[in-house]
Amino acid sequence: MLLELEDVSVRYRKIEAVKGISIGVGEGEIVTLIGANGAGKSTTLRAISGLERLSGGEIRLEGKRIDGSSPERIAGLGIAHVPEGRRVFPMMTVRENLEMGAYLRKDGDALRADFEDVFRRFPRLQERANQLAGTLSGGEQQMLAMGRALMSRPNVILMDEPSLGLSPIMCREIARIIRALHTEKRTIVLVEQNARLALALAQKGYVMETGRIVLEGPASDLRENDKVQHTYLGVA
Amino acid sequence: MDTVTLIQTLLNSVVASSIYALVAVGLALAFGVMKMANFAHGEFFMVGAYCVYVLYALVGLPFPLAVILAIPIVALFGLVAERLIFRPTRKNILAGFMATAGLAFILQVLAGQIWGVGIAKSIPTPYMGAADVGDATIGWQRLIVIPCAFAMLLALRFFLYRVKLGKALRACAQDPEIAALQGIRTNRMTALAMALAGASAGLAGALMAPIHSVTPYMGHGVILIAFVVVIVGGMASIEGAILAAVILGFIHTFVTTVTDNLIATMVGVGFMALTLIVRPQGLLGRERA
Ligand SMILES: Nc1ncnc2c1ncn2[C@@H]1O[C@H](COP(=O)(O)OP(=O)(O)O)[C@@H](O)[C@H]1O
Ligand SMILES: [Mg+2]
Repeated sequence: MLLELEDVSVRYRKIEAVKGISIGVGEGEIVTLIGANGAGKSTTLRAISGLERLSGGEIRLEGKRIDGSSPERIAGLGIAHVPEGRRVFPMMTVRENLEMGAYLRKDGDALRADFEDVFRRFPRLQERANQLAGTLSGGEQQMLAMGRALMSRPNVILMDEPSLGLSPIMCREIARIIRALHTEKRTIVLVEQNARLALALAQKGYVMETGRIVLEGPASDLRENDKVQHTYLGVA
Repeated sequence: MDTVTLIQTLLNSVVASSIYALVAVGLALAFGVMKMANFAHGEFFMVGAYCVYVLYALVGLPFPLAVILAIPIVALFGLVAERLIFRPTRKNILAGFMATAGLAFILQVLAGQIWGVGIAKSIPTPYMGAADVGDATIGWQRLIVIPCAFAMLLALRFFLYRVKLGKALRACAQDPEIAALQGIRTNRMTALAMALAGASAGLAGALMAPIHSVTPYMGHGVILIAFVVVIVGGMASIEGAILAAVILGFIHTFVTTVTDNLIATMVGVGFMALTLIVRPQGLLGRERA
């Protein structure tokens, strides 16, 4: 396993948002975490990237513990986080946002190639390279947030609800991009409320309810599961 | 107002605007990154002036060298203040206010203990003579403030918009959590912001030392105007602070010339109130999402 969470708990003062979950992410896999609003999905991703402290359990990357490290260090270990709500730097240009994604990198030549790679993936970003990120549409901001993550050459990409608030056309576009990343053997942890989209993209899935994992298995099995169909896929 | 007075006042306005901009830019920068108002910022200005008093008037170094040395010295004050005072209190607004106001007080008392209170330090004017502009004249000592401030502001702009570290500082001001996810160390950025704030306020104080009375309390007048400038410009906005500095520099100088300093300050504060009614986020401030 490339990334492992073992019995991880996180609490915000009074409430325990994540209650002892274990997740395994293999290299080149898309693993999805689905569940209703407030289930603890974002908290789980934030714990992985060091934005929240664990109240129990451990997180390992390539077998080495990373919990307790600062977000800056964890970024340096190759984990990129595409946050919920995109959160691009609004008063910086598209190009500057991408530069910030590459903040820790020192390989100048490869960096130039990666700018081109991101612009090839997201031609819209190239057109708007010198525009302030705050003036982009929601879909464009999502692409920028993903491009910013790719600029760090991550080993693992955490994506928090990339489809949230986007038009159906834009959702398909995001899905196409995630599929392309998968064919390049990238490792992705995908958090979604849109279970249909997530289970179509992922190989493995975990279903979260109020801080616990209630179901897990291959995405194809989860798609056929009665409970998942009822609760998350809206099948009568 | 006759033409001579008009030209004279215009020139004085540009000088005032330059100083306001230097002082306010640092305050806005520090606020942007730390979300803390530094009530000791006026004392950085005061320390800059004392640097010139000590290095030029007492030690006898050349004036330009004393001014240049004031920049890193006061930047160091900013760094130390960040490490010892701002960083530990950043999570608590009230503690932050008390700590920065306390620092202002400490620096005033310290300057008073070492060099005395009472009469202002007299600093011999390094550049005698005056330039003729039309029929008006303006002392060289005042005039050199303008290019010096310009150079500093341009350097700062270059750093923030062209250098990777400067861009990281802006990123941190816009969203510290997301900046951390890119590997940017927040603590380094707050230290950097405070060093730059100290450097620019220190330069302002150093330039003003020969034309302003140098006392431990000289930061008071400056900090009030700097806050007005920063609020009008839009708290964390560097460009806003510069624009507001120019506007308020002109307002303040013209009203002072026609009436007096007290009324000028009142007009300035009135202008701030008016700005906040029309544009609550300030001239170039960002609306909170
Ligand atoms: N910063 C916070 N402080 C306190 N409680 C929080 C905070 N963030 C999230 N929570 C709570 O933790 C629980 C899980 O939230 P979250 O991880 O955001 O869920 P999800 O991403 O699945 O919608 C919710 O009950 C939420 O209200
Ligand atoms: Mg969430």
